Amino acid sequence: MKWKVTDIDTYQQAKEYVDTAVIPLIPLQWGKSEKETITMGEFTEYITDRIENQFTGRVFLMPPFTYLKTESSEEKLRRLMEWDAHLFQQGFKYVFYVTSDVAWKSLDKKLPDELIWIPAISSETMNSDQLKKTVEQQTSQIMPLFTGKWQTEPNNRDE
Amino acid sequence: MSEKKHRVSRRQFLTYTLTGVGGFMAAGMLSPMVRMALDPALEATGDSEFVSVGLGEDELTDEPQIVNFQLEIEDAWYTSEQPRSAWIYKDGDEIIALSPICTHLGCTVNWDSNEDYPEQFFCPCHFGRFERDGTNVAGTPPTRPLDVYDVEVRDGMIYLGQINQRS
Repeated sequence: MKWKVTDIDTYQQAKEYVDTAVIPLIPLQWGKSEKETITMGEFTEYITDRIENQFTGRVFLMPPFTYLKTESSEEKLRRLMEWDAHLFQQGFKYVFYVTSDVAWKSLDKKLPDELIWIPAISSETMNSDQLKKTVEQQTSQIMPLFTGKWQTEPNNRDE
Repeated sequence: MSEKKHRVSRRQFLTYTLTGVGGFMAAGMLSPMVRMALDPALEATGDSEFVSVGLGEDELTDEPQIVNFQLEIEDAWYTSEQPRSAWIYKDGDEIIALSPICTHLGCTVNWDSNEDYPEQFFCPCHFGRFERDGTNVAGTPPTRPLDVYDVEVRDGMIYLGQINQRS
């Protein structure tokens, strides 16, 4: 399900089935390597869209968590954990953070739930068919992370 | 009847011409109205377009395979191409094309993807299952069979039409 008014009605009727939140982590930076930063964000959105498409009935795709590239790790982490705690309390037992920004990789251990980092592939030189294929392939590789996670107990968030 | 009696008087001439011209004008005004009124009835109904999936009939087996195709969706003034998929296979002489959308909450189902349930469509979200013909397996979350596409074969190529719900 998506962050859309039409989907929230479906959600409310099927709440107990939707236990997974996906948060795209998307950086913002201007004045220096905008292109790479945009590529990251764009690719993350393609991937999360595709995940949502495959797992519509169990996954809720949240609006992106955005941050300045210059924001400190501690601050980013603190804010994201607030999102996570909020969603967890509201019944999302599994939370996935999806990003192409490698900066999150070093914070992996500190995150309360699953981080998925996929290197961004620029869509610049691809036609729409190739792009679709690439996104499909990449997504099919990370889909087992979801199905696998669902077999396990949700992580505890101890405050 | 003599020639004399056939002479057209001025009054008659005017009546004829006025009726003729008047009738012509009335027809000119009425015919678009009649056309407009009848138009919705004349329009082809429910005959949604068939889309090629780029697969030949001879490429089909009795094993369901996934095909992806684009469907043009017209939403008011905005036309967009939307991706669609179908699980397609041959059942004897009949071609079956099933929608891969789980009828429970809309996840995408896969054929024969779970070791525990071979030869079934399996939904990874809440373990919904469907038989080969799309019938939902009792005791799993879905409450109706997978939707089916209308299928047409033109020059040996597969075309899919509208999606039909089954109950």
